[in-house]
Amino acid sequence: MIRFSPKPTIIFILLFFLFIPLTTTFAENKGFIEEKQKIYDDADLLSTEEIAKLESIANKYGKKRDTNLIILTTNDTDGKGFKKYTQDFYDEHLDGPNAAILTIDMGDREVYIVGFYKGEDYLDFDRIDLILDKVTPKLADGDYYGAMDSFLSLSYKYLNIKPGINPDFILFKFEAQIIISLVLAGVIVGLMLYHSGGKVTTTERTYMDGHRSRILNKRDVYLRKTVTRRRKPNNNSGGNSSTRGGGGVTSGGHSHSGGSRSF
Amino acid sequence: MVIHYKCPSCGSDMAFDADSGKLSCHSCGRQDDIETFSDEYITRTFTEDDAKEYHCENCGAVILTDTDTAATSCSFCGAGVVIADRLSGVLAPVKVIPFSITKEQAEVAFKKWCKNGLLTPKGFMSANRIKKITGLYVPFWLYDLNSEVEVHAEGRKVRTYSRGDYIYTETKYYDVYRNMDLYYKKVPVDASKKMNDELMDKLEPYHYKDLKTFKMPYLAGYIAEKYNFDDKELFPRVRQKVRKFIDSYIGSTIVGYTSVSYRDKRIDMKKDNSYYVLLPVWMVYYDYDKQEHTFAMNGQTGKVVGRPPISYGKVAAWFSGIAGTTFLSLKFIQWIVGAGL
Repeated sequence: MIRFSPKPTIIFILLFFLFIPLTTTFAENKGFIEEKQKIYDDADLLSTEEIAKLESIANKYGKKRDTNLIILTTNDTDGKGFKKYTQDFYDEHLDGPNAAILTIDMGDREVYIVGFYKGEDYLDFDRIDLILDKVTPKLADGDYYGAMDSFLSLSYKYLNIKPGINPDFILFKFEAQIIISLVLAGVIVGLMLYHSGGKVTTTERTYMDGHRSRILNKRDVYLRKTVTRRRKPNNNSGGNSSTRGGGGVTSGGHSHSGGSRSF
Repeated sequence: MVIHYKCPSCGSDMAFDADSGKLSCHSCGRQDDIETFSDEYITRTFTEDDAKEYHCENCGAVILTDTDTAATSCSFCGAGVVIADRLSGVLAPVKVIPFSITKEQAEVAFKKWCKNGLLTPKGFMSANRIKKITGLYVPFWLYDLNSEVEVHAEGRKVRTYSRGDYIYTETKYYDVYRNMDLYYKKVPVDASKKMNDELMDKLEPYHYKDLKTFKMPYLAGYIAEKYNFDDKELFPRVRQKVRKFIDSYIGSTIVGYTSVSYRDKRIDMKKDNSYYVLLPVWMVYYDYDKQEHTFAMNGQTGKVVGRPPISYGKVAAWFSGIAGTTFLSLKFIQWIVGAGL
């Protein structure tokens, strides 16, 4: 008789499905374009050396993630608003490939992040919100270089984490992993030690005479109820709220994700 | 052995009446069938020819054997100074569970148990240093108990829901009442001062289907310890033991609440009956690392209890093994979903 073990097959199938999203993403030939300029500092926020540094970082990270990491700064969006300004920029300069764009509108003091294609899948509103959490305070402090650097490194990080997973999920934190491992090992070994001398295997049922034991009387009477209410915790309170609905479709027909904040 | 039949009505001694073929009471005239007469009212005491008693001069243990078995050393402290004494008039056990595991089987079972020890040192696992195995009948009291339980409690059901900008927490309060009549049968408590209570509790359960009416030949080749506490002295212990059972039973009848707080719990526990029984235990004395370790094995089921030596190396190995594997698994999951390392 041929014995067939299902385990390896199941694992193989699972792994296969896990890797499909990765392979399909790379299969689309809308990736990184090395020769394209990445930093467009129209608002003159950076020095020449800083621009050169950011260019090289954007190219290094972008190449690895197959996504164009673009930074735009402007003093004035020609009356279009930062959203339309960014969309038009994409249609004009890129028109197709994967991209993540950071737009800093110094005129309206707004910062806007959008993702196209792979960028749209990987940088959804929640992740953009996380990036804005880091970027906006630096912009408010006038640390433009630091803000841009954060954008590049966080985009680089998030573009490698499967869409839909919270990058700040507690189990992905090194400290949490260490603590969970140690606590679990401690509990298991503690139980082993505790039980090494033999376990109590009797329960409350062992000696109970089920034939004669009876419940003579029971009552569960509803008395009263109390209701307390509290306001829902509001993440978008105060000055650091991101505007939802930053996503949309460009005139050229490219759909994108997005989120903005004022600083 | 002398058997006393106590009259269930007036407490006087009953005698066998040859005319009616029944046990009859001279005081009140009650008659009972001898075959169906309840064990509860039968008292057996040893006579001089039944049993011998040994006192250990070293640790004070008192052990009983049949007149043919000679104890040469104390089975508790190992001292060779035991003084034999005739005994008569001492209360004899009502029931006994005979050994169903022989000495050879006990040795095999013990060795197997040693090998299964995940945290015990390597040398201990080979289990070739058994110094002595003694079959010992340990005195226990078995209690039949009736408890009337009355419980008043407050149950709370908590529900949260959100409507509009608010999160609402709704708590419903219930008045919970339970009145129960609970019976527990043959709850064992060891009556030996020498035996560690915790150890003896872990030896349970014994299966009572093998419970036999005590006869002297069951003792042949084994020794029995004389009980140190009578059923009245041990009642607080059995009460405490059953109290835990009752508490968890009460909990199991109050379900469906988020939380329950007890306002009043009245447990009225009465002893219906108590039996003096002997339960079989193999005592295993084992030398390891110049230290003697004592283990007890249930002589009916083979369950072993007792603190084995612990290898700190193995504890460390298990700890780091589990911690390491967990950490790597978490990292692996993180890598699979592509959340970086």
